[in-house]
Amino acid sequence: MQNASFASRKRAYILGAVFIGLLVVLIVRLYELQFVQYNSFRSQAESNSIRQISKDPLRGLIYDRDGNLVVGNNPSYTLTVTPFEFDWHSLPLLKRIFDIDTNVVRYRLSREGISSFRPVKIARDITFSQLSMLEEYRTLLPGVNYTIESRRDYKSTAHMAHLLGYTKEISPNLLKTLGDYYQPGDLVGFNGIEAYYEEVLRGKKGYGYFAVDARGKVIESFEHGRSDVSAEEGSDLILSLDMDLQLYGERLMRGRRGAIVALDPRNGEVLAFVSSPDYNLTDFSGRIPVDVWNTLRDDPASPLFNRCSMAAYPPGSTFKMLVAAAALQEDIIDENTRISCPGSYLLAGQEFGCHGAHGDISVVAALEHSCNVFFYKLIFKLGFANLQKWGRLFHIGSPTGIDIGSENPGILPSEAYYDKRYGSRWNIGYLVNLGIGQGEINTTPLQMAAFTAALANGGTYYRPHAVREVKDRATGEKRPVGNRPERLPLSPSVISVIQRGMYRVVNGSGTGYAARVGGTRVAGKTGTAENPPNPDHAWFVGYAPFEDPRIVVSVIVENGGFGGTIAAPIAGAMIRRYLFGTWVPEQPRGGSTETEPVVVETPPANAPVED
Amino acid sequence: MAFGMPVLDPKKIDWLLLATVFLLIASGLLSIFSATHNAEIFIKFQKQVFWVILGGLLLVLTVLAPPRFYHYAAYLAYAASVALLLLVFLFGKSIAGNAGWFGIGGYGIQPSEFAKVATILALARFLSDSTTSMSSFRDLSKAVGIVALPWSLILLQPDFGTGLVYWAIFLAMIFWAGAEMVLLLTLLSPVIIAVLSVIGLWYFLLAALLVSILFYVMKRNLGIALMFLALNLSIGFGVQYLYSHLPEYQKNRIAVFIDPAAAPLSAGWNVIQSKVAIGAGGLTGRGYLQGSQTQLRFVPEQWTDFIFCVPAEEFGFIGGVSILLLFALLFLRGVRIARGLEFRFSSLTAIGITAMLLFHVFVNVGMTLGLIPVIGIPLPFMSYGGSFFLTSMLAVGILLHSWVSRDSFS
Repeated sequence: MQNASFASRKRAYILGAVFIGLLVVLIVRLYELQFVQYNSFRSQAESNSIRQISKDPLRGLIYDRDGNLVVGNNPSYTLTVTPFEFDWHSLPLLKRIFDIDTNVVRYRLSREGISSFRPVKIARDITFSQLSMLEEYRTLLPGVNYTIESRRDYKSTAHMAHLLGYTKEISPNLLKTLGDYYQPGDLVGFNGIEAYYEEVLRGKKGYGYFAVDARGKVIESFEHGRSDVSAEEGSDLILSLDMDLQLYGERLMRGRRGAIVALDPRNGEVLAFVSSPDYNLTDFSGRIPVDVWNTLRDDPASPLFNRCSMAAYPPGSTFKMLVAAAALQEDIIDENTRISCPGSYLLAGQEFGCHGAHGDISVVAALEHSCNVFFYKLIFKLGFANLQKWGRLFHIGSPTGIDIGSENPGILPSEAYYDKRYGSRWNIGYLVNLGIGQGEINTTPLQMAAFTAALANGGTYYRPHAVREVKDRATGEKRPVGNRPERLPLSPSVISVIQRGMYRVVNGSGTGYAARVGGTRVAGKTGTAENPPNPDHAWFVGYAPFEDPRIVVSVIVENGGFGGTIAAPIAGAMIRRYLFGTWVPEQPRGGSTETEPVVVETPPANAPVED
Repeated sequence: MAFGMPVLDPKKIDWLLLATVFLLIASGLLSIFSATHNAEIFIKFQKQVFWVILGGLLLVLTVLAPPRFYHYAAYLAYAASVALLLLVFLFGKSIAGNAGWFGIGGYGIQPSEFAKVATILALARFLSDSTTSMSSFRDLSKAVGIVALPWSLILLQPDFGTGLVYWAIFLAMIFWAGAEMVLLLTLLSPVIIAVLSVIGLWYFLLAALLVSILFYVMKRNLGIALMFLALNLSIGFGVQYLYSHLPEYQKNRIAVFIDPAAAPLSAGWNVIQSKVAIGAGGLTGRGYLQGSQTQLRFVPEQWTDFIFCVPAEEFGFIGGVSILLLFALLFLRGVRIARGLEFRFSSLTAIGITAMLLFHVFVNVGMTLGLIPVIGIPLPFMSYGGSFFLTSMLAVGILLHSWVSRDSFS
């Protein structure tokens, strides 16, 4: 590099001048702050008079698919205390007016992460009369103030508690993981849609800076609001849920423990999401009364538990479609392969039973009659590796990806799973048991619904989702929630065999006749999950219309007994309600709507109504 | 003598530079002590004392290295830094929205800080090569590439502020290497225009006109100057058009990209409180450990990026200016050393290091004074934190080293 300018004297001067020039800029600014604006800054520093007050945005609203408001907001007053201004001598007065535990105040004012100069939220839902008392005693309560927060307002008759989730005060742990957007005392979405869409729903907090007097009363906006940040409202959600079907499902399940998940098999939209027993979300908006909470928490039926996506049960015979589809597609059998069922199956000195001897039987008939021996033998040929492969494809043993806060992935045992669990103390009989969906396999009603949907629609797995669109409040722009279609490697002929099997379960001489619906053709599969020593769980998964499916239903009734007698009629009723919009028992009834309509139709006389 | 025993002649050591750095470190420790002494965060001060001791050792080691050591090690150090940046991108942990950290015990290490020095060494090595020409487009592109590689990895972390330092270093070094003024103007003007166009129409029109006139004065070619003006105008209008057509949330996204830590909570509040603290300091300050804003901890995390407001509040204008003058001395020594070194690699390294420190000082202090948006870069020798402190010590060590061994190359 022969360059005369390299490190020249001229360049050294230029650089030196630029460097010093930049420092001079800083010094001039320093002079401006410390001489020109000295008086105002000095008095602000002495009175510690600048406060940052946050402005909570309005949380996004939730609408149903027809545009009706499902979850709205009500303004509610929240008591705040700014620790720096607060006079601890006024604590008894605070306690008297607001009826709060002084320990709660102490705890809240000493928590990690609070600033002495920012208002700390102390109590929610203070009444208007308390508010007027505050105004009256303002001079005796320095640093005490209130802010307006939005409190959830539930508009629908249907509960949807487990689907929607609720908002509650952020926990210290969550505060650590969620980062610096939140302050102690803030509300955050908890469970369900509220949790999953938290960032979308919450919007963005705004901040205002104010000069206050010694008692914490706002005198004026600081620097005419130049540094203020305005709040951004949260986005709205539009649900895919059919409110009528949801309400209907909740009524069907009243008095039962279990779940119903209904999906649109064409796109994975959630049509109904019923977990029973449930609870009323209105109790959860604002301060949850202690007695309500304790009752819910201690109820042996666990109403707080989301049975649709958090409870995992052995799928029983509803799992047989997966085994059959995998075996057909892997060319282990074809449609005409016959396997003999003498009524039981002997393996490694163990006898695995069937409900009757089905003779030489093909796959369609094996599904129709739910022949166990057929599937024992089939999964033995299929093996662990194929089972894992097809389990993964159908999201059995892994989450469906539904857009709610929490989901149980369930269990699809592999050899490694058994090795880890039992060491060498397990045998091939464990695999055989999986063939009929028993043993340590666990699936959620949601997983079974999404799995059935993929069979019904010809082999595409859609991610189930309860929110159809997210609507930006500011721009009005609607953003659809994706369903991430996954095309499964299943040939049309394989799908057709499975569908015919499921069709015969309901319409042939199979176990699912109770799911029949006049005016349409239903296909499905019953299941009875053993649950020793307690009564079996009743399963039914199905879809309709057979030719052009528009709804998939997955039903489980805990300890309900046979799937065909308990779960199938509920599924049938849901299908009829969705397709034809009628309540099942059309004859006039004397009782209130509280009666369970399905019972009327349940054919066998000895069917247990409640557990 | 390439790798002989290090000979350290006390007369050759730049004592003035060393004393300046010593005074700055002492001011830093006093400030961190003031900001943390009456709270459970006092551990910060203790940790910083540890860093200072470690930094001192590092400085001695750096100076003791054999004469051409950094020239030999330049590309290796550069390759190692890039590898570390890749590793931290893949496996690093996140602190305050920035993923560029390795955790070792209770201490966090940021490879992006050390990469600054390595990049300076590599660029100096490349620019000092006798076959590199400042008027060759290919060579200039290579120089850009040397900087762009670590810069893009840092941008991914994402750390926009640290990323900017690299280009400040780049500009100073190619200027020192003799790049034509017109080239620098051409490189710099679109950036300035783009930034100004977001601020306001008149600012950028005026700036575009000024740089074009400057361009004409340098090139004496009206046609090219007019093309230059047209280019700048189209960039300005283009950026303005694009920005105004962005939806609000994308504008926010850009803002967050520029400063991930700038939740509305931290940025606005910090600057307001920092300005109040400094303004209240007046001429003589409120006395050591007496600054109400500092002692009541109005400025969150004051000991990191907002450390300058401690001396400015407690020792006032006198304290603030003294620190800025110490830095001025440091920068002038840096330029003087660069000018006095015949070995081109060392000379370029000295300018790169000086530019790096200057950029940090200007942006950091500018940010506490509310002149520059909060982009979260620390004040050399004074801010709490290990990585940048050690990097600064390493940088000064190299500066001292090249001055000590200045006669080894004749």
